[in-house]
Amino acid sequence: MRKRAVYLVTILALSFAGCNSRIDKAQGPKKMAVVISTLNNPWFVVLGESAAERARELGYEATIFDSQNNTSKEAEHFENLIAAGFDAILFNPTDSEGSVSNVKRAKQANLPTFCMDREINSLEVATSQITSDNFSGCVALGEYFVRKLNKKGKYVELLGLVGDNNTWNRSKGFHSVVDHFPELEMVAQQSADFDRSKAMEVLESVMQSNPDIDAVFCGNDAMAMGAYQALVAAGKEDSVMVFGFDGAKDVMDAIQDKKIRATAMQSPNQMARTAAEMADKFLKGKRDFSKKTPLQVKVVTQENIDEFGAYGSDN
Amino acid sequence: MKKGIKYSILVVILGLALYNSVNIEPLDQIKKSKSDLIFNAVSYASDFMSNKIETLPAINASDFLVNISDDLDNYAEQKGRKLGISDEYHFIIEGNATITAIEEEYVTVMLEGDKELRIATDFVFGNAIRDGSGMANIDDYQNTMDFNSISVELNNIVRETVVPPFKKKAKIGDALYVKGAVTIDSTDPPLNGPKVIPLIIKFND
Repeated sequence: MRKRAVYLVTILALSFAGCNSRIDKAQGPKKMAVVISTLNNPWFVVLGESAAERARELGYEATIFDSQNNTSKEAEHFENLIAAGFDAILFNPTDSEGSVSNVKRAKQANLPTFCMDREINSLEVATSQITSDNFSGCVALGEYFVRKLNKKGKYVELLGLVGDNNTWNRSKGFHSVVDHFPELEMVAQQSADFDRSKAMEVLESVMQSNPDIDAVFCGNDAMAMGAYQALVAAGKEDSVMVFGFDGAKDVMDAIQDKKIRATAMQSPNQMARTAAEMADKFLKGKRDFSKKTPLQVKVVTQENIDEFGAYGSDN
Repeated sequence: MKKGIKYSILVVILGLALYNSVNIEPLDQIKKSKSDLIFNAVSYASDFMSNKIETLPAINASDFLVNISDDLDNYAEQKGRKLGISDEYHFIIEGNATITAIEEEYVTVMLEGDKELRIATDFVFGNAIRDGSGMANIDDYQNTMDFNSISVELNNIVRETVVPPFKKKAKIGDALYVKGAVTIDSTDPPLNGPKVIPLIIKFND
């Protein structure tokens, strides 16, 4: 009877231990995971590396995970890092809707998540969301666009990923200005998924039916570079103005060289550092975080380019 | 006989399980509850412009201009409102002034103390009203686009109902009262008079 009781207690203890899938942490530095939507874009590389660097400066071990723009891959990362006993996640989501369940799983495992750059459609699961103020940046960019075109002309808009809220916040900010000028006509609005080669292909195809455009507004800098390449191939790079968004190095150089008109500077460095510092404060006991922290975006033009460095670094 | 009882019990259990796993609701009720969840920026902005702006606290415009030229950083930090991490501060100001110039994009007015303001009549954009008044908190909006739509609708109301009668009546030398929203970038202060998005303009007859 006594033996049975001992077995029963042992089995119960083992089952309870099994319920907790997170590995007991050995003594040593705490760990932050940096999960990035894609490392195939230099802007996100800077975001990920800046987050990891700041986490290390604050005394944490930091590991970068690449979700390859794939929500399932992202889910795998979350499962693994929950099991591996990480203490916080600095997270750049792949999809505003699809990434919610991953963050929810982390929350259920008592793992705080700090979203960077892209928001998710939930106020309940992430500890805080640090994003660029895309809308305001594109309002300012839209005003500059209208003035540069003297309030009239034909233009094309290249959108980013349609499942990303940033795509629509940028587009909405831009249109909240441009649509009030009736002589500005949008002849095409197409998605090029934030991708340089796709932007080139899309613009080449649009120009076949609309050869007389005056400007191209792009939802990010990679697409602006792709659009510029298409214009060079068509011999129209001097007559068509290109506008981007990000403040990526190649576009900053292109603005300096008078190839691209303007971009909106969002700083992946500042965003990543803010997220890492918030996570640090959380792990030291702070709990009252603003659910959303927007970061100002500034317009960089051929006139003020000397005041800015690439990716928001000091010039 | 025994088998019959067994099957009957099984059927009852299965029936109960099915009944509890399916929830039937009228389609119009579902549609209504979904539409209740959709944020209506138009009515939110319209309610604010119709019912809140008269009583909205505002800084005296002349004092505002003196203070931002004396010590912009400190003053903005104390009296301005900003969204997240930003160099831009938003304020609601008011004052009596006289029209000194009418241009394509602005009507310039002179306040007491020889300070100038530019009332925007063409480029009525941005978040000056939403963020200067503090009427909405970004933390309450799951999708930031809803939060941004508030600014779009507020500016639309100003563009459609405040600016046209003002432009129609404005003449150089007219005296008026203006209440409006201003955005100042502390790293790039305006060289000319700051731009005001008008909320209320009353001519002093």
